[in-house]
Amino acid sequence: MLGKRISRVTLFVAALGVAAGLSAGPALADGAIKIAVPAAFTGSAAGYGENIKAGVSMKVDEINAAGGINGKKIEVEYFDDQCEPREAATVSTSIVNDADVVGIVGHLCSSAHLAGLPAYVREGIPAITPTATSVAISEKNKDEAGKIWSFRNVYRDDFQGKFLADYMDKIMGLKKVAVFYENNDYGIGLKEAFVKEAKKLGLTVVGEEAYKKGDQDYTPQLTKLKAAAPQGLFVAGYYSEGALIADQAAKLGLVVPKFGADGFDNADYVKLGGKAADNTFLTAPFLAETAGPDARKFLDAFRAKYNRDIDWMSANAYDAAAILAEAIAKVGPDRAKIREYLAGMTTPEKGYKGITGNNYFDAGGDCQKTAYVKEVKDGKFIPASKQMN
Amino acid sequence: MLEQQLVNGFTLGLIYALIAVGYTMVYGVIELINFAHGEIYMLGAFLTLSFISLGLPLPLAVLAAMLATAAIGVLLDVIAYRPLREAPRLAALITAIGMSIFLQNLAMIIWGSRPLPFPKQALPAFFAESALTFADVSISWMQVAIYVVAIVLMIGLNLVITRTRVGTAMRALAQNQTAAALMGINVNRVISFTFALGSGMGAVAGIMVSMYYNTMYPTMGYLAGVKAFAAAVLGGIGSVPGAMLGGVVLGIAETLGAGYISSPYRDGVAYAVMILVIIFRPSGLLGRAVVDKA
Repeated sequence: MLGKRISRVTLFVAALGVAAGLSAGPALADGAIKIAVPAAFTGSAAGYGENIKAGVSMKVDEINAAGGINGKKIEVEYFDDQCEPREAATVSTSIVNDADVVGIVGHLCSSAHLAGLPAYVREGIPAITPTATSVAISEKNKDEAGKIWSFRNVYRDDFQGKFLADYMDKIMGLKKVAVFYENNDYGIGLKEAFVKEAKKLGLTVVGEEAYKKGDQDYTPQLTKLKAAAPQGLFVAGYYSEGALIADQAAKLGLVVPKFGADGFDNADYVKLGGKAADNTFLTAPFLAETAGPDARKFLDAFRAKYNRDIDWMSANAYDAAAILAEAIAKVGPDRAKIREYLAGMTTPEKGYKGITGNNYFDAGGDCQKTAYVKEVKDGKFIPASKQMN
Repeated sequence: MLEQQLVNGFTLGLIYALIAVGYTMVYGVIELINFAHGEIYMLGAFLTLSFISLGLPLPLAVLAAMLATAAIGVLLDVIAYRPLREAPRLAALITAIGMSIFLQNLAMIIWGSRPLPFPKQALPAFFAESALTFADVSISWMQVAIYVVAIVLMIGLNLVITRTRVGTAMRALAQNQTAAALMGINVNRVISFTFALGSGMGAVAGIMVSMYYNTMYPTMGYLAGVKAFAAAVLGGIGSVPGAMLGGVVLGIAETLGAGYISSPYRDGVAYAVMILVIIFRPSGLLGRAVVDKA
């Protein structure tokens, strides 16, 4: 009896193995060029993943409609990393092992990107992340020979954190602020840069508390922060948790302006936070209202296709896909050559002029872009009346 | 600040307690840790949302969601656990984890993976207002509603278990299944009733959490389920009053840990309390030492 059961299990495992072997070589359209887009398509960050997908697919559809790259169509494969490092580690392995994939647009979240980096650097595949802002990425994106494999067309957290401290001090005139950060690479990076700059400016940080992704109850930390009587609350994290924090802060009577970084820039922030979302200020890498005429055309096309306003993630993903496509067009679908090309985009003249501005990379693979400030007023995102620049 | 923290912790603890009784009842009766219980809690919230969007008023929607989740709980037992009743216990445990993953993904397919707000217009407007304010402590009507509902439900549950025939049957089953069957108790029917009761309570917890925090998402059951399981163990798994006490203790420990020790170690503090209790009282706060039935 036992023997029979075991042999059945073995059979099943063997069948699985055969199935996996068969599916290993998916039919690639004749001579198509394949790129991978790892992002969160399920889980609490799935809303962002949809933005990335919207931006990339818009660019790829444009290129394919115009005949592709040197006559070859681009094919995109989307990988779900759920913004979880352990998922990202699995996903990154399957990306590098697919010899057809020549480059990556992603990951979406810093934690996921950091988990994927070792595989990309080791196996040598170029990646451009449109959204991962962690400082640690710049230290882990080089192989042993010092070659950079991961680039980004978004600013880093230290820039955002510093920028927000400047904004609170110089524009809002606040003296005492509290920081509530998500306990991951993104939140901690933002918090550290913010606190460092605040110290320099003489802006007092009266409380620093942490929370975990997916938490629902923030009242203990908020109660503690409220006791320190801050004039502003910087929430270093993402919109889904941020909306709950805004709501619970209001219920506890902590009614102060709230500040967030790029992770807050999502229409769901207002939907979930309701009235409590008002009086929130956030940094955004891209502001539709200040975009040039080229971007205008894209904005209208985006609205027509997705029936919503553009968000900065879609805009950045659109540009990141364009940069990768340009590299492929110049040097061909070869991982190493694409990397050479991207690494050579070091000056404004060699940069790619996209809808989010001029994209070029410094020696660390990072880009030089400024930030804008948005404000939530009466349940709507509007450009803040006072900008830094 | 301490008073407000205690209020916060008590609210959270009552919610854990409501979920924990579902774990503990099922464990008491069939010695299975039903890891899909967290998903039942999540389904309670989403089903209420769906019933409200169908036009039902809030009380009816809550009732309908409770009945639906109770039915899902029973179905879960019939489909996934009953065929494995005689199999090694590990098989049922792994099946429970499988059902948890299945239900989570099913919810993602039905309602999408983005977090959804609870339909505020369905709630009475005064819920958001403060019921009590003294010094710097404020308790909202929503919190008062959670206290009342949770305490009434738990008293009711205790009455069912101690005063009714089916409750007596549940306790008999917990002591010795074979003997109970020999006394003419329909074992499967009592187990189904246990699942229905536990799932209904879990659904109420899910509904109240989604109202209180104004959000629901398909993965919300995972963390809440783990915490409630810890609460059930802390109180003494198999003991219903223990699960209630364990929930409240865990909620307060977690809140005070975050408020006074260190917020990044919030969950760590809660689990450390649980581990300490288990070290010194292996059967939990109110659990009785287990006599091996074999």
